[in-house]
Amino acid sequence: MKNIVVIGGGPAGLEASAQLHRLGYNVILVEKSPQLGGHLAKWDRLFPSGIPAKDVLEKMVSQINGVKYFLEANVQSINLLHKSYNVILNNGITVLADAVLFTTGFDLFPAQKKEEYGYGIYEKVITNADLENWFKTKKDNRVTENPKRIGFVHCVGSRDEKAGNRYCSKVCCATAVKQACEIKQEFPDVEVFCFYMDLRMFGRGYEDMYLSAQKDYGVRFIRGRVSEVAENINKELIVKAEDTLSGKPIKVTLDLLVLMSGMQNCSEGTKVAHQLGIANAGNDGFFETKDAIYSQQHSTREGIFFAGACTGPKTLPDSLSEARAAAIEIHNYVKGIR
Amino acid sequence: MRERILGGYDDFVLPFMTGMAFILIYLFIGLIRIFRHMPAQDRTRFFKSLLSPSIMLKNAKDIVNDCLLHVKIFKRNILLGYMHASIALGWFMLIVIGHIEVALYVPQRNGILYYPVFFRYFVKQEGALTLKGSFFFFLMDFFLLIVLSGIGLAIYKRFRSRALGMRRTTRPCLADRIALACLWSIFPLRLLAESFTAGIAGGSFLTKPMHWLFSNFLSNDLHILPTWWAYSIALGVFFLALPFSRYMHIPTEAFLIMLRNAGIKASHPRKGFAEAEIYSCSSCGLCIDACPMNVNKRNLKYSSVYMIRFLRRRNEKKTKAIADKCLMCGKCVAVCPVGVESCNLKRAHRATRYNTLQYNYSYLGNGSHPAHAHADTQDTPDILYFAGCMTHLTPSIIKSMEEIFKLSGSKYVFADKDGGVCCGRPLLLAGKEDAAREVIARNSQLIQTSGCSKVVLSCPICLKVLKEEYKLQGIELLHHTQFINSLIKEGKIKVKDGGESLVYHNPCELGRGCGIYKEPQEILQQVGELRKGEYEGKESICCGGSLGSLTLSYEERGKITQGSLNALTGCNPHKIITACPLCLKTFAEKSPVPVMDIAQIVKENIYTNTYETYSL
Amino acid sequence: MVKFGFALNPSSRIDLDKTDREKFAQLVELEPDVLKCMACGSCTASCTAGKFTPTSVRSAILEIQNGRWQQALDMLKGCLLCGKCTMVCPRAINTRHLILAINEVYQSGK
Repeated sequence: MKNIVVIGGGPAGLEASAQLHRLGYNVILVEKSPQLGGHLAKWDRLFPSGIPAKDVLEKMVSQINGVKYFLEANVQSINLLHKSYNVILNNGITVLADAVLFTTGFDLFPAQKKEEYGYGIYEKVITNADLENWFKTKKDNRVTENPKRIGFVHCVGSRDEKAGNRYCSKVCCATAVKQACEIKQEFPDVEVFCFYMDLRMFGRGYEDMYLSAQKDYGVRFIRGRVSEVAENINKELIVKAEDTLSGKPIKVTLDLLVLMSGMQNCSEGTKVAHQLGIANAGNDGFFETKDAIYSQQHSTREGIFFAGACTGPKTLPDSLSEARAAAIEIHNYVKGIR
Repeated sequence: MRERILGGYDDFVLPFMTGMAFILIYLFIGLIRIFRHMPAQDRTRFFKSLLSPSIMLKNAKDIVNDCLLHVKIFKRNILLGYMHASIALGWFMLIVIGHIEVALYVPQRNGILYYPVFFRYFVKQEGALTLKGSFFFFLMDFFLLIVLSGIGLAIYKRFRSRALGMRRTTRPCLADRIALACLWSIFPLRLLAESFTAGIAGGSFLTKPMHWLFSNFLSNDLHILPTWWAYSIALGVFFLALPFSRYMHIPTEAFLIMLRNAGIKASHPRKGFAEAEIYSCSSCGLCIDACPMNVNKRNLKYSSVYMIRFLRRRNEKKTKAIADKCLMCGKCVAVCPVGVESCNLKRAHRATRYNTLQYNYSYLGNGSHPAHAHADTQDTPDILYFAGCMTHLTPSIIKSMEEIFKLSGSKYVFADKDGGVCCGRPLLLAGKEDAAREVIARNSQLIQTSGCSKVVLSCPICLKVLKEEYKLQGIELLHHTQFINSLIKEGKIKVKDGGESLVYHNPCELGRGCGIYKEPQEILQQVGELRKGEYEGKESICCGGSLGSLTLSYEERGKITQGSLNALTGCNPHKIITACPLCLKTFAEKSPVPVMDIAQIVKENIYTNTYETYSL
Repeated sequence: MVKFGFALNPSSRIDLDKTDREKFAQLVELEPDVLKCMACGSCTASCTAGKFTPTSVRSAILEIQNGRWQQALDMLKGCLLCGKCTMVCPRAINTRHLILAINEVYQSGK
């Protein structure tokens, strides 16, 4: 029986493992954290229609019966032996894999790196992940009862040379609009401002979500990037931006500011990829696929495959499609079908 | 000792005399030009300085130290220092002793320019050698040997500059090569000429044995005249090439020292004081290794030495490119053995292009008075806290400072809490001098009338301009490192060792700019284990974020930042500590280890119970 | 020929047919970063002068691209070159040099 190692137990890893298992392979799934699901496990609801993340994750996990998976496991070394890869995990397990699939996903941009936004410095500044956690648990001292004004800053650590990430993280616009609506559901009287550079509502149903945010929830969209945030004596935040559409600098006092942290390539995954010489030392940090259109699931090395956000920011459905595509590509590769 | 050649003349002195006459006329015209181009008040200043005994004394001291002994170069590298000092001092002594000899033995030839130079040709030794005679013979041979050893080192350096502590040196131009060839040959030729003549004119430990050695296989007398000719030609060509070569610094440096000690600064990039600086540059290239831009080899051509070379050749296009590219970090000025203030030349050059650009700062008059914002506080606090524009992008510094003010019980007004007005330094750096003066005048008035006795600043860029250009009466200006250090010393705050290893990045504007080195060190030694980076103190290098450069792209700056970070993290510190918001922001983007301002690490390591006990 | 329509005032439209490409090319040569702006407004928002005056690098770039360089120059008159806009620009535009270059190119000639 052929061994396939899947690195990363997020949505793409789970889906690919399930598909490969169904195709009759011995799948070994490696996950660094104590639980499966990656970022999905930390999310509350999903855009555009607000499906609970928990339901989606539970469905995925139920599909991987029979897949061997290791939690709190890291790939310690990986190297080519003849035609297969010798993968050694930190828990002592060694696998001789016929193919390796990277589903290492992304890290959220560390928002404290944009010091002018004051994450970690001002009390009332949180990230999109913090807000999802609050939606889930309702536990976070920074989110206080009956806030008057809340702001969302798009593109934190995305489209920003200074943050080292020039690319668009693709999903934050939709996430911000979703979260803006949800916060209005929680606090109907709150005034919500979204500070954006460009609203990238590219997917099916996203524009409807945007329309609903305007029409049903009265969210104010301000076309201008926040340049700096100060704190007043009452720990309220004073946010400065330009309303580029009226061409005037604006200032607004907020009770909570949510930073939409973007995506960057998973640092743990990059370390493993480095051993294989496939970590993209180039510009954006994500892994380089064999080509940009036709062979998205192939790496530049035989037997190493990619799926999900490790090759660039992706939505959840994108990642799942890639996972299924990767399963087929691996199947073809192992069977020698060209 | 008696005159041998009647009339005291021979044709071979002609090349020397031609060169000498040329250089003297050239220097005289140059001097007149410099004075003519200088602003009138600078001229008066200079002539007044010649009457001041203290400045005269300083002039003498500086000239001996810098032009003869080359103390600054000794401090950098002993061999390099010896090379310079041996040639300069040796040559100087040969000239002095030559004149003494003439005065003693052939007083009738006093005042003839060439006579001391070719003394040995014109005289002959009579009777037994006296003690006095042999003493002079010994001295002449001794200093000739010293010079020759220096020349030997110089030749060695041409081929292996690294051995003398220099990684990169300048590429010499044609005039440099000619002058260099002459300089290298002058003294060996003198040795030969004097050796061949030693049978007639006498000699000492060097020339006598050489004479004996040659006499074994050469007929010495036949070689006397040709070698003196060669010696004279070498000297003459050297003087002819001098104004077009790097060796022009030999005659001009002393003059520059006198101008500088008179307190004159460059007001034009090419004329007046600048001209003295330009000709005083010895093209040694120490500034090439010093320049932080040169982590990228492509930038070598932007070193100060080349800027001065292009200024001298009046190559506007290339001068402009360098003047606008420079980070103005001041390291090249700090290492320059001649003390050429190239940053001022660059600023002056920028001013020729940007000072005339229009501006309108009438709105500055509408800025509300900072003290009015705190009208509710009864007594006026004595401290004015001025964070600075950049600090508003690093709120951690502001937060930490507010905390430190609170914990130390210091009463203060936050002058630019709601965003202030720029200090004017960035305008000055860009060469918009008139515009800067207007901002400075308005701000000075605002600070002066605030009623505060102390201004604490978080940004060294602001501090430098407040110190140098603002005329503030009775107001103490402190960088927050100085303020925090005094709080610790006075026991107003207590800090503990956080147990982390730290490395300090010295911001250019704070260290070289304001001369503040000690206070940050003292603070950091108390809050952690302070390690040494690759460059310390005056030798610190720019973070890459400097406002000084106008044209450096973000990518190029990134490489400088990376180079600077590599130099800092070599000692494996837990944290990099700096004291400038611009450095903090620049490093934080790329650093592999956390970067913090000194105020932040102090705040983290403060005993909070101090405050409680004080308030009890 | 009979003129038709309203002709009391000259058109206030921006006429892209009349933009000066030559001057703009000069500006691009001096500071190519002028092409990089994505109009996010960070520069205007953080501008120390912008609180009191209509100083805005973003608008100035736009005006110049629309051929209205006099408006651009007016917009930059109050600039103190403090460099905050350079620090906050997500496209890493060298705004200080751009401002100097705009003045250099457009102030000299009409």
